[in-house]
Amino acid sequence: MSHWIVTTLKATSVSHFMVTSEWAWPLCETLHFIGLALLIGTVGLLDLRLLGRMRHMSFAAVHSLIPWGIAGFVINLITGVLFFVGAPDQYLANVAWWYKLAFLAIAGINVLYFETTQAQRALAIGSGDDTPRAFKVIGAVSIVSWFMVLYWGRMLPFIGNAF
Amino acid sequence: MSDFFATIEALPFSTWLRESNSIWAYPTMLTLHTVGLALLVGASAALDLRVLGGGKTLALADLRPLFRWMWIGFWINALSGVVLLMADASTKAAAPMFLIKLGLVAVGVVVMAVQRREVFAPSAAVTPTAKSLALASITVWFVAIAAGRLMAYPGLFFGL
Repeated sequence: MSHWIVTTLKATSVSHFMVTSEWAWPLCETLHFIGLALLIGTVGLLDLRLLGRMRHMSFAAVHSLIPWGIAGFVINLITGVLFFVGAPDQYLANVAWWYKLAFLAIAGINVLYFETTQAQRALAIGSGDDTPRAFKVIGAVSIVSWFMVLYWGRMLPFIGNAF
Repeated sequence: MSDFFATIEALPFSTWLRESNSIWAYPTMLTLHTVGLALLVGASAALDLRVLGGGKTLALADLRPLFRWMWIGFWINALSGVVLLMADASTKAAAPMFLIKLGLVAVGVVVMAVQRREVFAPSAAVTPTAKSLALASITVWFVAIAAGRLMAYPGLFFGL
């Protein structure tokens, strides 16, 4: 299965371009770091609000910056897929990459659960209001899992041997 | 000056950073540098994007606590940056891309300090100066990230 994924992806022109172009990899890395900053800057702020910190702001006000966090996530999803298509073998064989993916899944399920079932309740949180315990848990899961995604991403070249 | 960097690089601590296989050496310093980046550029970008027109329901004055996060990120990166520099002092200190990055960070910090006064000036409206500063801030930090990344690819950017 993983052999098939590797050979199929490596046969594509995108994969070839990613590893032969001098610029493609460093450019995508730069964009990946910019996306990371946008995501952590806006989602991290919302997580702090969910934790009951930064209480002087209403939840809705903090949430209005979230489209920029989504933009950061999309940038990182695209550049991340490009890295994977470029060198699938080095990621599949890397335990740090699997940890990164696991925390990405936790962060993703957490935010989807929150946005689909709790959003209305959250939008009622005005400035000065504390947050219910459930929201504190969601905020904590979010901030911890995003920093773990960052950590395992950063560990890719050291624990496995991805470039 | 190059003697100075060679001496730094030869210190036991620098040698340990460079040569140890420990996860606590170079990898941890790089991770801290990335966390600092996320806090500094993330908090800064959140403010800049608000000033430039995103998230209008958010009162600007409410974003004042973001500056604390920017400074926390800045100091994490100043310290981890010095440590990372020590490991390869003579190579990095002589690399044009490193000097470019250092210059960009200096400009970014000045913009940040000026921004704090301008954005939270008594008038509630966003002034054209505040907008220019926000644009300068987000541009300088993103380009600084690019310069930092390009330090791993010496010579790639027009030979720098």
